Amino acid sequence: MIAQVVLNGFVTGMIIALPAIALTLTYGILKFPNFAIGAMLTVGAYFAYIANAWLHLPLVWAAVLAAVALAITSVGVDRLVFQPLRERTAITLLVASMGVSFVLENVARFVLGNSARSFEVAIARPQRYFELRVNMEQIYTAATALSAMLAIYIILRHTALGRAMRAVSDNPALAAVRGIDRERIARWMWVIAGVLTAIAGVLAGLDRAIDPLLGWNYVVTVFAAAILGGLGNPFGAVLGALTLGVVEETSTLLIPPNYRQVVSFCAIAFLLLARPQGLLGSVRVKR
Amino acid sequence: MTAYLVTILTLVCIAIILGLSLNLQWGLCGMVNFGMAGFFALGAYSAALVALSGAGTLAATVTAATICALASAATALISLRLSDEYLAILTLGFGEVIRLVILSEEWLTGGSLGLPGIPRPFWGLVSEKDYELLFLGLLILVVLGLFIALEILVRSPFGRAIRAVREDDIVVATLGKNVTALRVKAFAVGGAIIGIAGAFHAFYLTYIDPSQFSAIITAYTFMAVIAGGRGSNKGLLLGAAVIMCLIEGSRFLKDVVQVLDATQLAAIRLILIGLGLILFLIYRPQGFAREYSLKGSKLISPRT
Amino acid sequence: MTPPLPVLSTAGVAAGYGAGDIIRDITIDVTPGEVFTVIGPNGSGKSTLIKVLAGLVRTRVGEIRLGAIRLTHLSAPQRVSTGVAYVPQEFNVFPNMTIGENLKVSTEFLGREQQATLEQRERVLAMFPEVAKRLKLRAGLLSGGQRQMLAFACAMMAAPKVLLLDEPSAGLSPKLVGEIFDKIETLNASGLTVFIIEQNVKEALRIGDRVMVLVNGSIRLMATPGEITAKHDLHKLFLG
Repeated sequence: MIAQVVLNGFVTGMIIALPAIALTLTYGILKFPNFAIGAMLTVGAYFAYIANAWLHLPLVWAAVLAAVALAITSVGVDRLVFQPLRERTAITLLVASMGVSFVLENVARFVLGNSARSFEVAIARPQRYFELRVNMEQIYTAATALSAMLAIYIILRHTALGRAMRAVSDNPALAAVRGIDRERIARWMWVIAGVLTAIAGVLAGLDRAIDPLLGWNYVVTVFAAAILGGLGNPFGAVLGALTLGVVEETSTLLIPPNYRQVVSFCAIAFLLLARPQGLLGSVRVKR
Repeated sequence: MTAYLVTILTLVCIAIILGLSLNLQWGLCGMVNFGMAGFFALGAYSAALVALSGAGTLAATVTAATICALASAATALISLRLSDEYLAILTLGFGEVIRLVILSEEWLTGGSLGLPGIPRPFWGLVSEKDYELLFLGLLILVVLGLFIALEILVRSPFGRAIRAVREDDIVVATLGKNVTALRVKAFAVGGAIIGIAGAFHAFYLTYIDPSQFSAIITAYTFMAVIAGGRGSNKGLLLGAAVIMCLIEGSRFLKDVVQVLDATQLAAIRLILIGLGLILFLIYRPQGFAREYSLKGSKLISPRT
Repeated sequence: MTPPLPVLSTAGVAAGYGAGDIIRDITIDVTPGEVFTVIGPNGSGKSTLIKVLAGLVRTRVGEIRLGAIRLTHLSAPQRVSTGVAYVPQEFNVFPNMTIGENLKVSTEFLGREQQATLEQRERVLAMFPEVAKRLKLRAGLLSGGQRQMLAFACAMMAAPKVLLLDEPSAGLSPKLVGEIFDKIETLNASGLTVFIIEQNVKEALRIGDRVMVLVNGSIRLMATPGEITAKHDLHKLFLG
């Protein structure tokens, strides 16, 4: 039924929105697409799994722990890998992020192996609202994702940090001569990115099995969402994610479900041809 | 022992062919192909299907090269007027799409079960025992041929034009050369080379399945190219050899280090590859090759 | 009587973007409270010079000081904290933020006290009434002249000791040029030292206390406007 599909797509879109925001913030402030975003999501999910299944913390606390752990990891990775490459081209940073992706994914694999894991959560019966089936995970996902997005909105629009992030993203040289240190802003950006991606990891882990390739399953869609919204624009990323979530889910009515990322890929291809700056981006993408 | 060496050399040759492609696409033209594993798979499966249909291995190789060239051209066309990272994103996405198609379209590709029984070139010409050597010889000829062809290409007017485009495409465009066509052609030629590599991979193993084409291939190739010095084909020979030895050498770890299981050892190997990539980029971006003249002032960045 | 310590000084500075130096052997002493203008033909290195002072381009050799503070190895944001404010020639405001946000972002990361920041903000708003009127307007919607004023205002939010202006008249109509330079004079009258690079020789000579002629990356002449108009053929200087 269409409404059910749209609902499901919307909720999936909310999971995608969080790493899409992280990706787009990284692109805006550090000017490179972070290919490690999928692996970061995976690691976030694993952090939460360890806290939940080994330390027996309730999922909410596990998520908090995961967010802190991934934030620290992200800042650490930036210090060790991306900062030494700060003055190099976007491509170099891109290739480096691929290296980071391999390291993160395989550290997870080393510690926890290839087998699929899941969180220890109470099983709840799905609810029915006006003929739509909504399960508890979807409600949690929507609530959590929306809260996170609201927090980001408030940070970007109403705090000094948010203004500084927008400034650096818009014009790093001008931001520098207005007294804003890009390194400090970058560090906070990674903290935010880590928190968002970890939350997404937890939400994804509720939706499907946790294994080393968890994040990889979302990578194309996350990139597509960020491009659709306009790389560098966090509000656009949310819009792009929700749109693609619904589009992907709707496409499962017509094509096999494991082709979802193909749909997003086609969206990327089409966008790059027709409107590379996406819905809300600036036209600065051309060479 | 000889058999083992032959195996290693064969794998190194296939890696070198992939590296030659990346050197052409990225080293010469500055176009990043992050979907290398996907194009490689495309070449292998195309060649396998054609060869299995009985048309012969030469036809299979040509088909693989052509299909990959066309796919590469299409990908390049889409992102042509955009900055470099968009091509990288697009090719990554394409690689994923290929992987998904191969896994899903079981009627064509055998899905996760793969395609067995792929014919080999010149099979039957020599005894089974000696075939590996013959294959290696053939492969070395192909590598040499490609090597020479690419050296000629680099020094040709086409090559000079491409290099000029990489430095400053606005200047080249005002000189009247069709920048779009140049870049698409170059990327397509690179794609064809990947197709050839895929074909030989299929012939060598006679059985292909999706697990052989994971993204790690892209990482290996980038590492070989960076280690050898981006753009330097001679350096690539050294880079590919070193990487291959690292990979194969770590297989021996399994026998020596009993404490860890197979998955963990595989993970360690991949971690080392990732770290190697990062370390090369940070500390020795010019690889083993002679120093580039990396320009001085840091705020106007050197193009690495 | 000992001369006052120069508020901004360079000693033997050379800098460029890689292969060769664009400016060399630059030694300047800017007196506190003066308007110091730099003129020269296109490609003379004026732009590089001011970017070196601002911290956007690294010096290859030489020293830069703000009073007694060594600026040479400080980053651009650090220099803003010490008292140097640079107004770029173009892209000098954040178009996607409102005027109010542009002003806020110019002080928020300087580590200044709340009170001092608020007081400076009041002063700036008083100095730039055109800006104060439209705090909620998106900066991208401003005209060229209004944008330039906002750029000045943002620089002033940092309460600088020296203001570096990069071709403030560029792209403006003669009337607006007059307004801009009047504003510069007003700012200078309150004791602010102003360092300007300018294409517009007439305005540069009118407003400068001292004028420096930069040709092909080196200093050809440093004198008062009076001396220059009386004794020197600028045309010849520019071409040679």
